[in-house]
Amino acid sequence: MARGFSRQQIGITEEMIETFGDTIFRLSHNHQVREGDPYRLKNWDEVDRQRPNMGLSDDQIADKIGLSRHQVLFIRTILERRRFHTGHYPRLLELGGGRRFRAERFTPHLDHFKFSQDALDLRAAMRFPPAQAKKYIDEGWWQGDTLSKWLDKHAAERPDAPAIRHGDRVLTWAQLADQADRLSRALYSLGIRHGEVVSVQLPNIPEYLIAFLAITRIGGVMNTIHMPYRAAEIETLVNHGRSRAIVCLSEAKDWSPAGTVLGMVDRLDSLDHVIALGAPVDGALSLAQLIESDVDAEPQTVPVASDPFLLLFTSGTTSAPKAVPLSYHTMLSNARVGVPEHEITPDDSILSAAPFSHLFGLYSFHIAIAAGACSVMLPVFTPPDMAATIEREKPTALWTAPAHFAAIRGLGLIDKYDLSSLKMMIMSGSACPEELVRWTAAQLPGCAVTQLWGMTETQGGLYSRPSDGLDVSATSAGRPSPGTEVRIADPETNDAMADGEEGELQVRGPLLFPGYFKNEAANKAAFTEDGFFRSGDLAVMRPDGAVAITGRIKDVINRGGVKFNPRDIEDLLDAHPAVVQSAIVPMPDPVLGEKACAFVMIRPDADPPTLESLCGYLLEHKIAKNKLPERLVVVDEFPMTPTKKIIKGQLEVPA
Amino acid sequence: MAKPKRDIDPVEAKTAILDYCKRKGALVAGVADLDAINRICPPGHRPADMMPRVKSVISLGVGGQTQGAWSVPAKALGYFGSTETRGYTIAYGAAFYIENKYGVPSIYCPPDMDPDAGPRVPLQSLKVHAELAGIGARSLAGDILLHPEFGYMYFASVFTELELEPDAPLETNPCPAPSCVSMYKSIGRTPCMKFCPVQCLDGEVDTETGAQKVMRYDMAACAEMTQQFETVPATLMDAMKAEDEAAREDALFDPDNKILWYKLSAGSGGLFAQCFECMRVCPIATKAPMADPILRYDAAREERERAEAMPKAAAE
Repeated sequence: MARGFSRQQIGITEEMIETFGDTIFRLSHNHQVREGDPYRLKNWDEVDRQRPNMGLSDDQIADKIGLSRHQVLFIRTILERRRFHTGHYPRLLELGGGRRFRAERFTPHLDHFKFSQDALDLRAAMRFPPAQAKKYIDEGWWQGDTLSKWLDKHAAERPDAPAIRHGDRVLTWAQLADQADRLSRALYSLGIRHGEVVSVQLPNIPEYLIAFLAITRIGGVMNTIHMPYRAAEIETLVNHGRSRAIVCLSEAKDWSPAGTVLGMVDRLDSLDHVIALGAPVDGALSLAQLIESDVDAEPQTVPVASDPFLLLFTSGTTSAPKAVPLSYHTMLSNARVGVPEHEITPDDSILSAAPFSHLFGLYSFHIAIAAGACSVMLPVFTPPDMAATIEREKPTALWTAPAHFAAIRGLGLIDKYDLSSLKMMIMSGSACPEELVRWTAAQLPGCAVTQLWGMTETQGGLYSRPSDGLDVSATSAGRPSPGTEVRIADPETNDAMADGEEGELQVRGPLLFPGYFKNEAANKAAFTEDGFFRSGDLAVMRPDGAVAITGRIKDVINRGGVKFNPRDIEDLLDAHPAVVQSAIVPMPDPVLGEKACAFVMIRPDADPPTLESLCGYLLEHKIAKNKLPERLVVVDEFPMTPTKKIIKGQLEVPA
Repeated sequence: MAKPKRDIDPVEAKTAILDYCKRKGALVAGVADLDAINRICPPGHRPADMMPRVKSVISLGVGGQTQGAWSVPAKALGYFGSTETRGYTIAYGAAFYIENKYGVPSIYCPPDMDPDAGPRVPLQSLKVHAELAGIGARSLAGDILLHPEFGYMYFASVFTELELEPDAPLETNPCPAPSCVSMYKSIGRTPCMKFCPVQCLDGEVDTETGAQKVMRYDMAACAEMTQQFETVPATLMDAMKAEDEAAREDALFDPDNKILWYKLSAGSGGLFAQCFECMRVCPIATKAPMADPILRYDAAREERERAEAMPKAAAE
């Protein structure tokens, strides 16, 4: 309406707006051009000549182009609206106080970074119960920590202190920050953006941590792929995580990871880049060159503590993956509070026998970077390599699986190498035999041998402290980490059990992951209504507050309605002179439902025992008859996790 | 209103009126040439279109920003422009002053937009009035008027049926400043052109004389930044077109747009900041010794009376 008249009354059509709109807009005051200073000088000839450029009134425009004044008014104001852009005001928000607008540096807001849909999907998985989030913030567990902040802090405060040691190669915190920064800018220039996933399949070498810090420096999320994984697993993990790039070796022992990935890129639709470490590979970028590059690129965003920064897979490497997204909030708060508990200082150096592809291995780095301590590299675990590395690099702390150290013992390496630099050791990753802890502590009198219980979903949930003493560390996984709530509950009702009663270990706290990524079925089974994570582990809470892990729920055998945990049988079999390692799994039975089947690996120099002889051995050790294994399977080797835990799910009872 | 005085001395009256303006806070004041205004302004926007028997247009300028204001962040500087209301108050007072002293009808010229021409066209051009009254000259910054002594000012106008001798426009235009000419010689742009957040300014400078040659001003682009009223219906339209509830919520309530509603609320005199009910019941706010204006007045009166009584008591 103009002066109360409608378009129809004024005689406006869209065609008229289209025909005359531009002319009217240009003649109006919306664009003004003045030559010289005719008004001040009262140069009337110039005033008249320039009037159309200075902006005509609607009447004047109407006279000039042959429309009514109302038509001009209507069209002009409609054009003003149609040409009006909103959203300019934020341009002012960075100006003033000595800062001026610079057109050459300005990026229109519409052109600014926005999270990709894949990144938003992953962020949507970071869904924590609001009351829990409030509690963790109020109580100070969740703070603003990010890896980049910690890295920059160490690089500024202790630039020349060692951050990574790998043989003769030492990276100081300043060098590590510089290389991570270079690689991050290179990744950014490749189009990797905040919230997007980059997979890494490398051994424990400095480049692993450089890549980790570079990916996370631009807000990216690292997905770890275990070294033994091949095409089938890589395809599942990369596709599930929607990885934009993969960092891997050009050549491994008997295959080419980069070549393998390049050979199946048509099945990896999110993957844009293969970045290889080692010899040049056609179609792959060189990790070494990217680290050396100095690309002029500056990400528009920086990571924040609530961001996801890790995407790890716990199982389902070929179907129904259980992908665990982890935020800085959860992981770094757990690491920050863990530093004093483990008595780690900036002067310490930490060796992880566990691979960084596993959260236990990454925990060693989280602790190291939280404290400013040095990480010592062990690319691939072999017992002699680990012992030699300890002797040569003299780490003060060791992250190890029981099986790692059992191998050291088994090969008698403890007498051949000087391991006396160790002042603290964490054993974790699988059930830890008491006698192994006691033996290790006896062999290394200057070293506090501790245990830790954690999962990919939690990082460090329980651990014994160096000051707890051997009795606690040898017989339990210790007390909850600071801020962590644990309870032992009936796995069917979730009712809390009394101290000393075996039940499921359930965990809640600032360390806990938010839920599996794209796996609602797994999420429904994983959490109780009050937000506790069902670990699936059986445990007993002791009066002293320490928790002893007693087995896995899914390992429980239900023989005709009588359920039993086979852990004590396995412990006895493992101690049998002819047995290297054992595992008891249920086998179906048409009458009883399930019976126990024993898988054993026999020492090379021993006579293979029979089922009967093993049962006799167990009966001698007071094992009830109904718990005896009813079948024996001898295997050459067990399928193992990266932390040397037997993967029972892959043990198939022969027909 | 007093009856018109037949023996008004226009020179004395002009001096008195301009003095009044300055006494009340105007930095400068002058009288514009009415004929010149009529030659420049289009029909409908001439002084007689508002006041048929207008004889003179008085223009005055008040200071814009304090010196300290130029260093504040841009988001705060936007709130510093309200000194123009001081100018309007002085103009209002001047109109009363003329009517009371000389008995001649006068008005304060509303600085508002013409309801008959949409929101980008003013009723009257205060800029033309001030320029012709000699209290400002057009700059390369979108014709914003500048004064060689007082720099950037806000202007207000008074129309009166009292005939006053017009002043001449400024003899010289202070824009561009020598430093701006130097920059122009170097990069082809003056600071105002270079640093405009929407790049709506352009122009040319005679590098020999240092005078303006051409001023180009994209007022539409400027309005996109500065005339936020137009963002309001645009936001509503975005909300109407939104694909889903979340997008509609963003369109109406994201921080950028929500601040618009705040400004609308503040501008309309509605609730903002406080409803004051908490202060209504606050004993400090309402009953502190000098919180009550009546008590303050009583205290001042007692003090005055005590002071007046003292010499008398001393004398006795």
